[in-house]
Amino acid sequence: MQEKKGYVSFVLHAHLPFIHHPESDDYLEESWLFEAISETYIPLLTNFQKLVEENVNFKITMSMTPPLLSMLDNKLLQRKYIKYLKKLIELSKKEVKRTAYDSKLNELSKYYLDRYSNDLHIFKNVFNCNLIEAFKHFQDLGVLEIITCGATHGYFPILYVNEKTVKAQIAVGVQTYEKYFGKKPRGIWLPECGYVPEADKYLKEFGIDYIITESHGILYADPTPIYGTFAPIVSPEGVIAFGRDIESSRQVWSSINGYPGDYNYREFYRDIGYEADYDYIKPYIAHNGVRVHTGIKYYRITGDTNNKDYYNIQWAKDSVEKQAGHFLDSRTNQINQISQYINTPPIILCPYDAELYGHWWYEGPYWLYILFKKIHYDDCNFELITPSEYIDKYPNMQISSPCRSSWGANGYSEVWLNHSNDYVHRHLHVAGDRMCELANLYPNAKGLKKKALNQCARELLLAQSSDWLFIITNGTMVDYAKKRIKDHIGRFTKLYYDIKENNIDENFLKDISKKDCIFPDIDYMIYK
Amino acid sequence: MPRKTKDIKESKEETIKKKPVAKSTKKASVSSKKSNETNKNIINKDKQTSKVAKKVTTKSTTAKKSSTKKVATKATSKATAKKPSTKSTTKTTTKKSTTKATAKKPTTKSTSKKADIKPVIVEYYDLPYRYNQTVVKLLAQTPDSLFIYWDISDEDRENYKKTYGNDFFEKTKPVLIIHNETLKYSFEVDINDFANSWYVQVNDSKCNYKIELGRRPIVFNEEINKKINNNYINISSSNNIESPNDKILFNINTEEIKFKNVKTQEIKSKSISKILFMPLLQQMNNIYDLYKNLYQEEDLGNVFNPSSGNPSSNNFTNKV
Repeated sequence: MQEKKGYVSFVLHAHLPFIHHPESDDYLEESWLFEAISETYIPLLTNFQKLVEENVNFKITMSMTPPLLSMLDNKLLQRKYIKYLKKLIELSKKEVKRTAYDSKLNELSKYYLDRYSNDLHIFKNVFNCNLIEAFKHFQDLGVLEIITCGATHGYFPILYVNEKTVKAQIAVGVQTYEKYFGKKPRGIWLPECGYVPEADKYLKEFGIDYIITESHGILYADPTPIYGTFAPIVSPEGVIAFGRDIESSRQVWSSINGYPGDYNYREFYRDIGYEADYDYIKPYIAHNGVRVHTGIKYYRITGDTNNKDYYNIQWAKDSVEKQAGHFLDSRTNQINQISQYINTPPIILCPYDAELYGHWWYEGPYWLYILFKKIHYDDCNFELITPSEYIDKYPNMQISSPCRSSWGANGYSEVWLNHSNDYVHRHLHVAGDRMCELANLYPNAKGLKKKALNQCARELLLAQSSDWLFIITNGTMVDYAKKRIKDHIGRFTKLYYDIKENNIDENFLKDISKKDCIFPDIDYMIYK
Repeated sequence: MPRKTKDIKESKEETIKKKPVAKSTKKASVSSKKSNETNKNIINKDKQTSKVAKKVTTKSTTAKKSSTKKVATKATSKATAKKPSTKSTTKTTTKKSTTKATAKKPTTKSTSKKADIKPVIVEYYDLPYRYNQTVVKLLAQTPDSLFIYWDISDEDRENYKKTYGNDFFEKTKPVLIIHNETLKYSFEVDINDFANSWYVQVNDSKCNYKIELGRRPIVFNEEINKKINNNYINISSSNNIESPNDKILFNINTEEIKFKNVKTQEIKSKSISKILFMPLLQQMNNIYDLYKNLYQEEDLGNVFNPSSGNPSSNNFTNKV
């Protein structure tokens, strides 16, 4: 057996913006949650369960953002997810009949029928519609460390011109975590890994030990961290920062050699929603008849061609085995090399979007399962660890100020601040200032005014979601993102004047409180 | 989930608007749009861009019409009573408050019979055109690009006109002065009165910056020049920011390397003479250059995370 010389730490960031439309069934964006549940969250949970049952010693960290937790906890969205699954099961049944002419295709359609029926069973009967409890179960077992995030994924490097708004993002993120997990989070995933040193004092105030940063958050820190990203650093304010390892990120993300691009893996873009006969598929696509993804996909990536082969589950599994082996070997070599230069056992931090695993990279959750088994059984020189455990084991770290950075394209704020979305920022700043003004004008309000002030805080937080800015930059679903910014700023502004004029419109308040029902226990006094 | 055409959204928004009370909603959005346009010419309060109409669904169109007319005067007086000081009780204001008031009061007659009917809230918002406050805000987009937005309140504008003459804004041009407070230098960028935000390129990362918005006379004007010192007038200054760092700082000196035990809070200095993690780093300032060098044959476009926290990302497309 090789001696253990270092550690690998997987951090999966699970996040979706708060999308909740009790007023209509027409919002396609609600299906982001349903797809993520079926393709990412349930597969991760079932793979964790398998590992636990097989007595595999593994450790993983996940950030679960407050909007995601709020949606997973929402009864209406739970019902809508069940409805979504039932529709998919109905479609899968039709597919089994339709594809009877081709045995390979028929086998795949049966696979989907089986998979979605299983999702329904697991969601309703095993998890009792409560995925948060399911994740908490693994945290309680000690294999999963869950960390928090900014309240609505607000991007700190834009918000911090009014520090109170950053403080509120942190405070509400921590409060939401405590509500669902019954203890304080030790770590936080900074929204988009957006780091500003100005946030440190608030992170400390709310008991946060550590943050995750992009690689240059550490490498360009001041003074230069002598161990690079292979050891955490601690900021002068006392916040511990772990940096993303470049090498392992490259293996997963590289556009040429990245694992998810394997030719045996499922092709994301070939979906029967776009390919089946229109009249046949119409009941399962958008309400207004526009073709969308259904989740039933029959092809594998095949290669750089439009002529795709059928997906072969066994082949995909073979590729997973091969790649998990490759990852294991690469980390072993990496750790052998690094440990020559470092006295403390190095940590290789591998942070990813959770939704990469399963949603984008269909085989991702299975890859993690196989990798964790290999790490447990094979002869390798490292162990899995969570950042908290690493801190407890190796509390000595270099004092250094992390670099202002993000994990977006080019490493700074371009994604959330550019010509396509820079018109938004002044509205976010003014609303932030006004929220503080209201909290100072009306401290400890009661009754209707208190309700209105709390709703103001919710509207402000929802407007601050980095997702809207990201979507505008990205160019897909732009209208929806713009509408959300307008709606939340609009509702906030109306409430702001209503409160100041002592003329709160109760029905309006009731209506928007039902729509934007995130953070029922929020206290606007955090802005004071 | 991620790839949906614009058509869906547009048509969807329409259906949503039409849903509750078709006529009133249409009206609401039209008048709101109008008001937004008006905003550009008439300086007014941002409140006017929001629109919330409350209607009882079963009401007949005729009833609605007549009630709107009835309350028009009421509403105006209400609006003026509330804001006696507001100069701009313009057409828009009147129109808006009319609808607002209409929604609140007029229905007593027609709805009294059906008290249990739930009101449907119809919402339409536009972002306020401006907030009418003098402000200069500065953000760092990248280590070498700063973003600045600004506005000058009506009150301040009037004061400048009073002091320097009515044609003050025609006879002067706006400028941004960028102060690098770390390296102690400043430079100036000409902007124009059609813009309310600007990107400025800077050469030095990891420096403190502050921006001043000011004005300079376009041509020599005796009247203005007499009153302005140094040919320049300061309007407002921005917040201070530090721009991000963009390179490895080879500022290692033994005394600076301090280690802290985060459990005991004990701080110790270590005598380490070099950066240990990458003997390869010696000549390279940029860590991503280093990796590009190590993996010359690969496209490293995706070293950065291509997705960003939600499945609406389409950056993944270049993978397949």
